[in-house]
Amino acid sequence: MSRFLSLDGLLAWLDGLLKEGTVVVAPTLVEGVSLYQPVPAAAEIDLDGGATVLSPKEWLFPQSHTLFTVERRDGAAELKEGTFDGRAVLFGLHPCDALGVHLMDVPFLAEPADASYRERRERTALVGLSCTRCRPECFCTSMGTAPDDPAHLDVMLTPVEGGYAVAAASEKGEALLASAVLEEKAVPLPEPPVPDRLPTEDLPRVFRALFGHAYWGRVADRCIHCNICSYVCPTCYCFDVRDYSRGNTAERVQSWESCQAPGFARIAGGYEPRPSKAAKMRQRFAHKFLYFPEAFDGPLSCTGCGRCVRSCPVNIDIREIIGDLQRIGVSSVGSGEKQD
Amino acid sequence: MVEEVRDKARELLSAGTVECVIGYERATDGITARPLFAYSPEEADRFILDRTCVHNLARYLLDRKGKPTAVVVKPCDSRTINLLVHENQIERDKVFAIGVTCPGVVEAHWGETTEGLQSRCGSCPLEVPVVYDHLITVPGERQPRTGFPELEKLEAMSPQERLEFWQQQFQRCIRCYACRQVCPGCYCPICFVDQLDPMWVGIKIAPPENQVWHLIRAFHLAGRCIECGECQRVCPVNIPLMLLNQKLTAEVEGMFDFRPGLDAETLPPFATFRKEELEAER
Repeated sequence: MSRFLSLDGLLAWLDGLLKEGTVVVAPTLVEGVSLYQPVPAAAEIDLDGGATVLSPKEWLFPQSHTLFTVERRDGAAELKEGTFDGRAVLFGLHPCDALGVHLMDVPFLAEPADASYRERRERTALVGLSCTRCRPECFCTSMGTAPDDPAHLDVMLTPVEGGYAVAAASEKGEALLASAVLEEKAVPLPEPPVPDRLPTEDLPRVFRALFGHAYWGRVADRCIHCNICSYVCPTCYCFDVRDYSRGNTAERVQSWESCQAPGFARIAGGYEPRPSKAAKMRQRFAHKFLYFPEAFDGPLSCTGCGRCVRSCPVNIDIREIIGDLQRIGVSSVGSGEKQD
Repeated sequence: MVEEVRDKARELLSAGTVECVIGYERATDGITARPLFAYSPEEADRFILDRTCVHNLARYLLDRKGKPTAVVVKPCDSRTINLLVHENQIERDKVFAIGVTCPGVVEAHWGETTEGLQSRCGSCPLEVPVVYDHLITVPGERQPRTGFPELEKLEAMSPQERLEFWQQQFQRCIRCYACRQVCPGCYCPICFVDQLDPMWVGIKIAPPENQVWHLIRAFHLAGRCIECGECQRVCPVNIPLMLLNQKLTAEVEGMFDFRPGLDAETLPPFATFRKEELEAER
């Protein structure tokens, strides 16, 4: 026996949460583009969507948000923090995206935690949807999750005939389900799909060994250094901070930024430590497969969602890069082929 | 015809005429194309040529200034060479253009292609590259021209409706700047949006900032857009950028009887001044 929620029951549950004032952030079709957005009604949710173009990270780590505003009045300055004091449900995360949230937690919740991220994270429940099919660019099992993995989620839904099999994966999830009309019945779960596997063994060490390899220059030849890969990625978390000022008020704004952007690494005096196309492109992969695991004791900073594979305009394919590194690593480590 | 590309590339690389040949190879989805930089005759075996070869490879000439480079160009892409030579960005004699005639290209995004041609191909005036050092003829009937049907729809709107249409489009922009990075005409050493002091446009990824970005981007390309359609192809959130470009293309053509990059002789309006322009009333 397991718990079952009919499709109507799901919509009623979410509409009930909306009525209570909970923000429901879910995949929605905006002019044909599937994006995570706050929805006004559960019926707006794109339930069959495979993967959104952008990941759900933008709810917890918004594209742009105000850290604080300062207003000068009668000689005194008043500071107001940008806060989120509501409740939210991030709905429809596939296991890869749940892993993405976990990987964002690692840097943002490490002490001293990022206050604004922590606030949103604590006030948001994660409701997942297990995958009944994989896309060609999926490789989640190579990154430590799986199409039916409930890890890091508060509630896990598995699409079955007529509705969803429901599993609460945390206390927060159990509380959230209090308002759902659940049935107890025998629900056979579908066999999870099997995505392609990549050779990720020992990747940080292989990466380190090939850091100066000419390979990077060859892949970077076709890179146009746009920010697409960073912005669609569920784990890229670089940002920029600037002040907007007008009259007596100033606003400090945080916005997404990418290591591929011009001037990203430029420092005082104008020095550019990553001047070549190769160094610039390698940086994104080095962060995921070398610096992140070194800094945070283990995990690769990739979820296998395949969004960058799908969105890259020139087919820089992270799966191919992993495969190439392993292949070159075996054949030429120590051969002294160097660049940069 | 694929063999012709490969043969030419092998010949140019073997003879040392160029250091690199930029063409297309199959992408990792097995159905679309991606750019290939071949540095040795052996690598030339990987070149392909078909209707999924959508990228404007001439854009990469900006990354290889001064280095002898051969590049495969479709008619639209070939206009890039004239544009960049006119604007003193590249030297013509450093470029070997392998021109390919074009019956049009399909919409190709990783993992999917369309049967029909890209809409921009409907307004393309060319079948043969405007500049080439070697020409390869690609068989295939060209589909009939359609003009700018979407542009006509937009022009039939009231200014208020048009404003709302564009605000709707720009709202989902994520300022990834893929449109800029892929554009052969966007090569400023420091783009106005990246300028720190003064900060012309704020860093917020939000409607007002997005709108400023797109309008200034479009104006900077007025009379310079060579209609390769790359900005629209690469946009991850499907903003129809070519509509803006086509509108400005039509305006500039109406005012100056000029469409950029079509020949090597006619100087662009920005590089010339005619007295009668003083009298032109707009």
